Amino acid sequence: MTWAHFNWLAPPAIILWFLASLMVMRRKNKLADMFMIGGILIFAVFIVGFWIGVQRPPMRTMGETRLWHSFFLSAAGFLAYKRWKYSWLLVFSSLLASVFAIINMLKPEMHSIALMPALQSYYFVPHVTAYMLSYSILAVGTIASLIQLKKINSGKPDFNLYAFLDNIIYIGLGFLMLGLITGAAWAKEAWGHYWSWDPKETWAFITAAAYLIYIHLRLREANRKITLLMLPLAFVLLMITWLGTSFLPSASGSVHVYS
Amino acid sequence: MEEKKFIWGSPWGYRASMFTVAAMVFGGFLLQLLYGPFNFYFLHRPVNYIVGALMLILSVLSLSAKNNELAKRLSGIHLAASLMVFLLIFSLIMGLTPQMTSLPQNADLWARLGFAQVTSSWPFIIIYLATLMSLAMTVARRVKERRKGDLVFLLNHVGLWLVLAAAGLGAADMRRHVMYVQEGQMEWRVHSDDRQVMELPLAIRLDDFIMEEYPARLAIIDRKTGAAQPPGRPELYQFDPEKSKTSLLDWDIQILDYHYQAVPAGAGAYQYSNMPASTQAVQVIAQNHHSKIIRLGWLSPGNSLLPPSTLFLDDKFALVMAQAEAKRFVSKIKVFAQSGQETEAEVEVNSPLRVGDWLIYQYGYDNRAGRMSTYSSFELIYDPWLYPVYAGLILWALGALGLIVQGKPGRGKIE
Repeated sequence: MTWAHFNWLAPPAIILWFLASLMVMRRKNKLADMFMIGGILIFAVFIVGFWIGVQRPPMRTMGETRLWHSFFLSAAGFLAYKRWKYSWLLVFSSLLASVFAIINMLKPEMHSIALMPALQSYYFVPHVTAYMLSYSILAVGTIASLIQLKKINSGKPDFNLYAFLDNIIYIGLGFLMLGLITGAAWAKEAWGHYWSWDPKETWAFITAAAYLIYIHLRLREANRKITLLMLPLAFVLLMITWLGTSFLPSASGSVHVYS
Repeated sequence: MEEKKFIWGSPWGYRASMFTVAAMVFGGFLLQLLYGPFNFYFLHRPVNYIVGALMLILSVLSLSAKNNELAKRLSGIHLAASLMVFLLIFSLIMGLTPQMTSLPQNADLWARLGFAQVTSSWPFIIIYLATLMSLAMTVARRVKERRKGDLVFLLNHVGLWLVLAAAGLGAADMRRHVMYVQEGQMEWRVHSDDRQVMELPLAIRLDDFIMEEYPARLAIIDRKTGAAQPPGRPELYQFDPEKSKTSLLDWDIQILDYHYQAVPAGAGAYQYSNMPASTQAVQVIAQNHHSKIIRLGWLSPGNSLLPPSTLFLDDKFALVMAQAEAKRFVSKIKVFAQSGQETEAEVEVNSPLRVGDWLIYQYGYDNRAGRMSTYSSFELIYDPWLYPVYAGLILWALGALGLIVQGKPGRGKIE
């Protein structure tokens, strides 16, 4: 298979994912499962066919990487949804997966944009997908924490929301740490350091530390408001890690400038 | 409220823990002012073994001291969270202010306190070691308590301890050298930091250096200044040998012919050749959107032996082929270790070779010569701590997966 086949296979997959999202919102869970799996299978078939077609692992160009992003985001999002039954997990991940598929259809000239040798690694896709999943999940946690803060201010904290918050932060932190661990292993393979305090790495550490503090504060009764305020704060730090490192004076010369 | 109790009373709260950690940091600042930055060489083997072993022994001993208040406090969550808060503060300083590799003579107080080199400052090292100690004691206590469902907890904490201990304390044993090897030759010497020639216990013979390039990109430049257009945000066209039409600025460009390896064939044309000095070349036809002027010709980025070829579009602009970018570069090498072990391998970026405790990384090549480079350079890293760190990373990754599957333990899922 070649990219030409992608334009025939991607739209049905995107439509299936969209239908799955619609179904899960209407609580038709069986149908949602079927549609979701259908979309993931179409992607799997294309990836296998394309792999055979190009006669090498399709992990070299940006377009090929986006292919894996779509696949892993939808698959991991679906598994997380099956485990936790949070319907927005499915909606979120299928939306993200569709965005990457659509970029590949609309901007075919970006397929062949070169990946520099250091980026050509099997760590690339898990590293980036884990971070993308964690960022989206932690975004949900942040919104929930703001809702809870508002409820505390009006004197009626929602105890179910606490449990939801804790779980969601554990899941998000799990993906965040997977991104960090794959990043460290990759850095060792590419440059010989696990961690060189590159600005992006420093900020990834800051973000992880902030979420770790939240988790540990929750284990022993600390001031509830301060504990909850850690979450919006951590998310601000996360946004700086993601987008802001290119603007910081300390970040000139980062190895992550391309990201 | 409970907090009114004297801060050092039992149970130990956040306030006492924060004071304790702040005191450690204060002590660190004093050491920093007295002795300057922390010298990692101090932890060189066997010191790091002793430090690590002491931590493990102390944490096991702390178990036998029944109801020991100090042990409880050091392995408690309050101290752990306080250490994390200080780690967060130090890393924020690192993330917000430029860090230096060495201090200038006239460094200000901020720099002399270690804020310009946080990772080698005494306060940071002390917090790092205290975190290791706290982790070890927490793990020891939880192993003893044998709580149900502690697997994920243990995976995360044991994994993190191994990574922080082996990669952190172990960093003192690492050595790195860059070695330059000419094609067809054998090399075992490197330069040390003070420019002395050193002999390594490994020799590398470079049998072949292969570099693959991406098809060079096309750009329109200003004929006078050479600046790629539009200025500021130049448009570069990476053509795909399968798809051969594009437009750049006001010009439609079609690729007629492309050679990855070519040499000039007279009259501005190029032809295929597998000579070592060959370069990329492309034949294009360009038509202006407005004036409909057509230009036809060959482009080439050239190399150190062949001049570049450009196509003049009009009085102001020319179409050029930019310097090709590396797709991959591979060195075919044979490594001879002192033990008599011989290893043949292909080394490339993201795929180092391991020989004993040495890792050999593809480092660079002659950038100006590109694929004609006659040498390849390698970074040789001596790292005896690879396995413990990887074991730690794997345990920790399993722990992270555990968090994803399990969520927060002890509380059911809330619909």
